[in-house]
Amino acid sequence: MAVIEVSNLTKKYADLTVLDGVSFSVEDGEIFGILGPNGTGKTTTVECVEGLRRPDAGSIRVLGLDPVKDGRALREQIGVQLQHTQLPENLKVWEALDLYASFYAEPRDWRELLEEWGLADKRNARFGKLSGGQKQRLFIALALVGNPRVAFLDELTTGLDPQARRTTWELIKRVRASGVTVVLVSHFMDEVEELCDRVAVFDRGSVVAIDTPAGLIEGIDAEHQMRFTVMTENVADLAGLFDGVPGVSGVSRTGNRVVVSGRGDFATAVTARLARHHVLVSDLRIDKRTLDDAFLALTGRSFTPDN
Amino acid sequence: MTALAKLTSVELKLLVREPGAMFALLIPLFILVVFGSSIEPGDTVLLPMSLAIAVGLVGLYLMPTTLATYRERGILRRLSTTPVRPGSMLVVQLILQLVLVVVACGLLLTVAGTVLGARLPGAALPVVVTFLLGTAAMFAVGLLIAALAPNGRAANGIGVLLYFPMAFLAGLMQPADQMPVILASIGRYTPLGAFRQALQDVWAGGSPSLLLWGVLAAYAVILSAAAARLFRWE
Repeated sequence: MAVIEVSNLTKKYADLTVLDGVSFSVEDGEIFGILGPNGTGKTTTVECVEGLRRPDAGSIRVLGLDPVKDGRALREQIGVQLQHTQLPENLKVWEALDLYASFYAEPRDWRELLEEWGLADKRNARFGKLSGGQKQRLFIALALVGNPRVAFLDELTTGLDPQARRTTWELIKRVRASGVTVVLVSHFMDEVEELCDRVAVFDRGSVVAIDTPAGLIEGIDAEHQMRFTVMTENVADLAGLFDGVPGVSGVSRTGNRVVVSGRGDFATAVTARLARHHVLVSDLRIDKRTLDDAFLALTGRSFTPDN
Repeated sequence: MTALAKLTSVELKLLVREPGAMFALLIPLFILVVFGSSIEPGDTVLLPMSLAIAVGLVGLYLMPTTLATYRERGILRRLSTTPVRPGSMLVVQLILQLVLVVVACGLLLTVAGTVLGARLPGAALPVVVTFLLGTAAMFAVGLLIAALAPNGRAANGIGVLLYFPMAFLAGLMQPADQMPVILASIGRYTPLGAFRQALQDVWAGGSPSLLLWGVLAAYAVILSAAAARLFRWE
């Protein structure tokens, strides 16, 4: 069952088209990623879905509700972590959770959230005294305190150190395990690859692909390399060895170090050819394709997050 | 507890933790006590001046700074993703700032009436009406600042920048009868000046000036309508 259905979303500011026919749907219980560089309409899209902005055209259904017309009913069932929001400096951690819990008809016990998100010993600390990571964890806890069916997390781990990011990822997996659908807006490839069941790739206000992270990577047809060192002495015609291997587009050799370039699943064929000719190799490495490569292949430009 | 009650109690705690609130209480009191040592018994000028200063500080400085900071920090925006409307925050803030004004003025009245022997007005109704109209006018100026200022620091700056000329024109820095006539007559129709004058009139037992009441009411209505039109949640 789809909990979110977005079709043909369009949004313009003056002459600037921010969203141009965005469509996707999010299934119950999945972590759905919205990936793209800054300024490609990710946040605008999510804010339309949350009911914070009105689209110029297109339709949105969240849990069967219209975010504009049924806003009040919808806000009971969603939790939101926004980019660039703060709390009053002098508000204490427990007060923030207690306050936000009071906004909802059936909130979660905020004391549990304090424990879960590692904030128990910061219970009485003021917001202004928290570290970046602690603030971020508090915002996520606030997004979950209303016991939502869908949680929207925008740039979840921005400003966190690598250790804190890993911890946050594990917690987000637990959120999914508890049955909450998560919409994750991110410009971090590794985060999306690690967490998301499916991803919508945004570029210039449009969705250019929707697939699993693995599917996106599989789908690209970019050239990549495999490298190895030849152990067998006196291989006469090393370059000629790979003639006719499907997918191979080039071979280069420096001493006994060999780099084979190709497309698709050429690596399997290359290793089979080596085995048939009884050529022993070591240090075999295949350059792993990543979501970055997928993005480059989809949009024709490299992914530079902070422009 | 309902969301609104909880919001009010949390915002009250924040107000108590805010040093600016302490200033709004103590500055007028300080002025009252310093100048109060030299007043005649039955004085009708100093206390209305101190009250106008207290209301002016809250309306021009504390309230717009708080509201603009809340918008700048995305607190209003974050609220609008919950079942609670961000407008509730505005209502709660207005009520609390009004409570602060009442507490500040109560403190001034108590000290002036007991220790300093200043005159307390006999007829309560004209005083209460004048006080409410004047507070409404000052809050309307504050709301307009909150609507126009891009962030908390700007709101603070605009508030301070407006406060001093307004306090000068209102005759809060020196008695209005010692000012050039032209300035005094302009000052009489500024929000703070009309408030101070109207308060002083009824304090002395005179009948309230309907013109000044009208001026205050007009400021309150026109400026808050402008603020409502211009206010942005983000």
